[in-house]
Amino acid sequence: MAAACGGEAAAARAPCAFSPGDRRSLAVCGADGRLRVWETAGSRLQHEYVPSAHLSAACTCLAWAPPGGRQPPSKDGPQRKKRKSEVTEADKQLDILAIGTAVGSILLYSTVKGELQSKLDGGHDNKVNCVRWHQDSCCLYSCSEDKHIVEWNTQTCKVKCKWKADNSSVSSLCISPDGKMLLSAGRTIKLWDLETKEVYRHFTGHATSVSSLMFTTVKPMNENKPFDGITGLYFLSGAVHDRLLSVWQIRSDRKEKNAVMSFTVTDEPTFIDLTVSEVKEEPVKLAVVCRDGQLHLFEHILNGYCKKPLTSNCTIQIATPGNDEDSTPKPVPILAAAFCTDKQSLLLVYGNTLQPIIERVSLNTTESQVCLIRDVQKALALKTDVAVTKIKTPVVNSDTKVLVPGIPGHSASVKAPPSGKEKNKSKRKPGETEESIEDRLGALDIDVSKVKTPGGLPQTDSFAVLLVQGLESNDSDILNKVLTTRKEALIKNTVARMPIHAVIPLLHELTKRLQGNPYSASQMVRWLKSVFTLHASYLSTLPDLIPQLGMLYQLMESRVKTLQKLSRLHGRLFLLVTQVAALETVQDVTEVNQTAKLVYEDESSEEGSDDEMIADKDSDENWDEDDEKEEQSDEQDMAVEKEINGDSDLEPENESEEE
Amino acid sequence: MVAPAALRVVRCGGSKLHGARAVFSADARYLLCTSGDFVKMYSVGTEETVCMLQGHADLVTGIQLNPQNHLQLYSSSLDGTIKLWDFTDGILIKTFIVGYKLLALYALANCEDLVFAVIPKSGERDSFQLVSVKLTKTAGQEMEAKELSVILDGVDESPKHTAFGREGEYVASVKEVNLQVYFFKRKQMNRFSLSATNTKGGNNRFTCVACHPKEDCIATGHGDGKIRLWRNFCHNKEYTFSTLHWHHDIVMDLAFSVEGTSLLSGGIESVLVQWHNGSDCKKDFLPRLGSAIEYISVSSDGTSYCTSHTDNRITIINSNLRFSKSIQGLIKGRDVKTGLVVDPRTKALVLNGEPGHLQFYCLQSDKQLYSLDIVQQEYIHQAGLNQLDLVKVAFSAQGKWLATVEEREETDLELQLKLWVFDEETQSFKLNTRINMPHEDHITAMCFRDRDEFEDDSPMLVTAGKDCLFKAWVIVEDTDPEAQQSVSWSCDFVGSYHNYQATNCCFSEDGSLLAVSFEETITVWDSVTWDLKCTFCHPPGKIRNICFGRLTCSKYLIGATDHGFLCCWNLLSCALEWSAQLNVLVLQPDPLSEHIAAVSWLSKDSSLFVFKPNKPRPICIQRNLCKEKIQFAAFVPRDIPETIVSEKYLWLRRSQLYFLTNTQELMTFSTKSPEERLTPSSKQLAVEESLPMTPFSLLLGKHRHQQSQEDVDLGKVVIHNHHNQDSPAVKELLHTPAHVLPSASFLCPIFINSLLTSKESKSAEEIADEVEMESEEAEDDSDEERDIIEMEQDDLRPMDFWGETTCRLSKSQEKELRKIRKMDYSWISSF
Repeated sequence: MAAACGGEAAAARAPCAFSPGDRRSLAVCGADGRLRVWETAGSRLQHEYVPSAHLSAACTCLAWAPPGGRQPPSKDGPQRKKRKSEVTEADKQLDILAIGTAVGSILLYSTVKGELQSKLDGGHDNKVNCVRWHQDSCCLYSCSEDKHIVEWNTQTCKVKCKWKADNSSVSSLCISPDGKMLLSAGRTIKLWDLETKEVYRHFTGHATSVSSLMFTTVKPMNENKPFDGITGLYFLSGAVHDRLLSVWQIRSDRKEKNAVMSFTVTDEPTFIDLTVSEVKEEPVKLAVVCRDGQLHLFEHILNGYCKKPLTSNCTIQIATPGNDEDSTPKPVPILAAAFCTDKQSLLLVYGNTLQPIIERVSLNTTESQVCLIRDVQKALALKTDVAVTKIKTPVVNSDTKVLVPGIPGHSASVKAPPSGKEKNKSKRKPGETEESIEDRLGALDIDVSKVKTPGGLPQTDSFAVLLVQGLESNDSDILNKVLTTRKEALIKNTVARMPIHAVIPLLHELTKRLQGNPYSASQMVRWLKSVFTLHASYLSTLPDLIPQLGMLYQLMESRVKTLQKLSRLHGRLFLLVTQVAALETVQDVTEVNQTAKLVYEDESSEEGSDDEMIADKDSDENWDEDDEKEEQSDEQDMAVEKEINGDSDLEPENESEEE
Repeated sequence: MVAPAALRVVRCGGSKLHGARAVFSADARYLLCTSGDFVKMYSVGTEETVCMLQGHADLVTGIQLNPQNHLQLYSSSLDGTIKLWDFTDGILIKTFIVGYKLLALYALANCEDLVFAVIPKSGERDSFQLVSVKLTKTAGQEMEAKELSVILDGVDESPKHTAFGREGEYVASVKEVNLQVYFFKRKQMNRFSLSATNTKGGNNRFTCVACHPKEDCIATGHGDGKIRLWRNFCHNKEYTFSTLHWHHDIVMDLAFSVEGTSLLSGGIESVLVQWHNGSDCKKDFLPRLGSAIEYISVSSDGTSYCTSHTDNRITIINSNLRFSKSIQGLIKGRDVKTGLVVDPRTKALVLNGEPGHLQFYCLQSDKQLYSLDIVQQEYIHQAGLNQLDLVKVAFSAQGKWLATVEEREETDLELQLKLWVFDEETQSFKLNTRINMPHEDHITAMCFRDRDEFEDDSPMLVTAGKDCLFKAWVIVEDTDPEAQQSVSWSCDFVGSYHNYQATNCCFSEDGSLLAVSFEETITVWDSVTWDLKCTFCHPPGKIRNICFGRLTCSKYLIGATDHGFLCCWNLLSCALEWSAQLNVLVLQPDPLSEHIAAVSWLSKDSSLFVFKPNKPRPICIQRNLCKEKIQFAAFVPRDIPETIVSEKYLWLRRSQLYFLTNTQELMTFSTKSPEERLTPSSKQLAVEESLPMTPFSLLLGKHRHQQSQEDVDLGKVVIHNHHNQDSPAVKELLHTPAHVLPSASFLCPIFINSLLTSKESKSAEEIADEVEMESEEAEDDSDEERDIIEMEQDDLRPMDFWGETTCRLSKSQEKELRKIRKMDYSWISSF
């Protein structure tokens, strides 16, 4: 399956490859020559491997071994499908990774054991450009700058076959779905028969060297013709500095030599992944990561010729939020992408190659341009340790909303049925008052100054006026001035003289202030009390009393509920404080008279036999009754305790003899 | 093509990794540990499972490397067999049938065909004995090993309570407050005991024992956190011990380093303590290991230690006490309160992990993804301390919102409901709203409204509490301009029904209806207007579970009562559609199909019934799932719908059913036959290891090779010399005063002759040795008084090999050497 071979990256980018099958891990070879294997599910570094010659022989390409030794795929559909599902279910442990190096050797690395398995040497004498595993046998194919293709036997680690494939370097390889043919690309694309090692077809069209090759179908779309394993298949090729991906069809007649269609992308493709369509109606999904860090998604049913280059169905970009110091969002390059097994979601690898972030994004191709905003400003550490614990700490900011009993929102607000109308009214009200407020404020200031200048101490009647004005203008200064008063009589008078229409706004204001700090709440309670005593008759006439006072009611309920606990706590604290105080007094006394040691002798004979615990209890009880005695027994206890300590150390010599 | 396979129950999530001490392979590259019925081999370098040895029918209780061949492994199991494995290839070599439950296994280097095991004493309960088992070397896969001989009686069943001393000379076993040491050669048993109760009320009993590899020294751990180092214990009176004390509670395990220079100890503090040279003052610590240390083991080359923890984790630690790797199975906490929840984003199973943490367990790779610290408070390992614990978890349909409930119960309840939003930018959860005391009493159920298309607009959370209320929480735009967040959660509706406790809540598939069960009654509410639509009940049973049908069956409401009835009501006609008598413990609808799985408990075992609500006849019945009660179940959607041929198991096509028993075993169903499902490691691409030598290793290897050969030669010479010194000729030569010696020419041939080794000399020596032993014994007998119980064993069979150990050792060594030589030559030739 072409989907299983993971895709490849151009030489400029760090080579990376997804493990075939369920894409569980991603192998990335960084510029520093280290191979890192990342877990795709949690984007966690699984482990790191440093080849012994990682500086001299940098890694140029990667390929995961195919899952297990499978039978060659048969032709009929349902059988194929079943085999595939078996493979995924079987939970294969893929562990062999082939690493091509710049000096021509190939390393086989076991990712499960974390060690080098074998080294394939002596095939190439120049940079290895591409390695590909054969699906079924344990053969490995590699191509190199030295114009040759080498077939390896991985069992014996020997060269099985080596042949010259091109006049220039061979840059890419791909094995046909049935495993009998091999595509190679240098200057031209050649299809080799693996049995005879002869060229079966030539494909020309790319001006620059081909960087990627991939089969897009596993069986021809028109089923009326007998299928010989290769004829009618499509494959895809991308080239260096080329913004077109070409699709070719292998035909029985040797005439057709041009690409059947092409996909346009914004830059040179660096990583390609696709879902192989098995049914005719199912489109091929193609994800192409370009050098500029964008990802293009294509969805197309391959059937024959198409002159116009196809544009992408969806383009995905990633950028930083850019709301911090640097206000401009910066693009984050996408490094690789792979389709998940359900073909509905995509694994995106982005960030830098040293610490890539792997994310699973579900596909919705309705939008043609998607820009994902991701915060990737993590400090880049050159040394990425394998995390010891897998504990993630979720973000807890200080600005999270906290709901405690009594705060609106903790419990449902009490609504009256026609609440909608009420809201409208209340909305309208502030609009009306706004115009008049300016005038009133002006008058208010004069008023206040007037009141202040004569007496210094405001009269109670003017307090009522002030309050009403404050409520109407919602002026916190005035309200503070009025509501912070403590005189009971003043409050009572003010409430009595205030006009009746101001009662409800006052209640609301009081409710709001009650939620504040507890100190102000104790003041507000005084106001509330006088409001309820003086205006109870008015309040009871209100039709929408329940919603108006609902919040206040809930607030009081929740506060009252804690009263019991509070008083209990208070009681305990009080007990503690008194105990501490008593202790302090006792200690004071002991310091004064330290001399009474004669009495001590007498009582020690009594209590010496007592257990330490009992002595302690005694002292507790004695505490308050008799300070003098207490002091003595206290000292005594100390002595007793010392004795016990002395004895307490185990002496097994004695005990074993007892036995 | 494929025959309709029967449904099999498959364990997953990894069984307890801390069942027995883990064992390092000889080169310390692999770690072998028991995992339920299997033995798993992990790579120390990558934490990955390399292979799994399966074949035991019951819990594996002990594993030991074969001392004669370090590429082989003995494993013992409760099924009464000892199996010998080639663990590098995962092949079972031999099975020895012992016939008793084996509770612990020990193997010694100097007894070739003998292993030691702890078995229950026949006829007595809770009484165990240490026996040696003779493993006969005959051809064939299975053989009986019936030659047992009792070595110690009245030992403890735990493998930690017995240890073999230096070169297998003695065995030390502890039980309660007694330490008994048995010397094989002298057939002498010494007993030491501590007083049962300390004066301080501390707990004095032994908890573990370890023996020094080079000296006669036994380390014992105690319940009060003390470690005692016993020396000179071959004398029953003049023995000494020193005490090391750092642990504040039980010492769980002890281990000596390879050379015995340092002692490792661990306890529930989850701190690994390294004591140097047995002194109290010099010690190193490795704190914060996560949870209580159950076992400690040391690799044979001394480079790494490993600690097994109670939370199903193995930590590999470098010898300089630094974290190296950790292998984590499914964390098994004390109690899974959250149930099994599936995270829609990662498809991982979410449940309680460490205290205060949520673990995300990836079922596809059978590995923990990560664990999310919800409570964010340091957990204090102390008994009797109530700390905040996670009790409920819910995810919204797309995984954007996560709601967690944590509670602490002391004199009064402390509850906290936290709502986390998944922040895509940082790819992590972020706390949005914290609600203190959302209910006055325990929260019994919590669910999100599962409306995919409306999720962005109006997610809704319903919590049901024992305070007879259920509350609906919705997102509101924050009006406060100072607040940084634009949205936060607030209560929308509080409902109650006749002051009954709310026990369950559940939204219908389209989110329009909410069903809340209040003790005996199910109430159905309109989730928009909050009108009570209708009520259902099936007296006299209280409602245990409710769920709505899905897809074509969305007009049905299913409820299970604790009086053993499963009822299905039609929401359109408001009538009971059908009911069945079934004691349902767990009711779990499949989110992707109409199927509902009900797990019932009938006296002894659990059964599974899968049905569609529109038909009273179940589609699939699976009896005898397991012997344990099943606590929770969850359907996990598959990535790719599986092709299932059998009509009966079609319900497993799109999602897989996982369930958790009350012993915290995670299980699932598989229609595949075992061969199909489990990939033997042999299927892995067999790549022959062929690594060319690096120039350095080539040089070093050659040098080493030469050196080792020289060593061998030298060793022989040394041995011979040793013999010669013992020979009478040399003795005579050396001990006779010079003036009485004959002339040198006379002595020379005698001396030369003595240098030539004869084969008879060995046997003669042996005899001499035995004579010596007997004389020693006689001495002991005369010395011993009432304290010491003499071991008067009639059959001396297991003992008589002790004399010939030296001879055999050299043989086996030679074998080894021959092997090494072969290997070396192949290296060179390959180059």
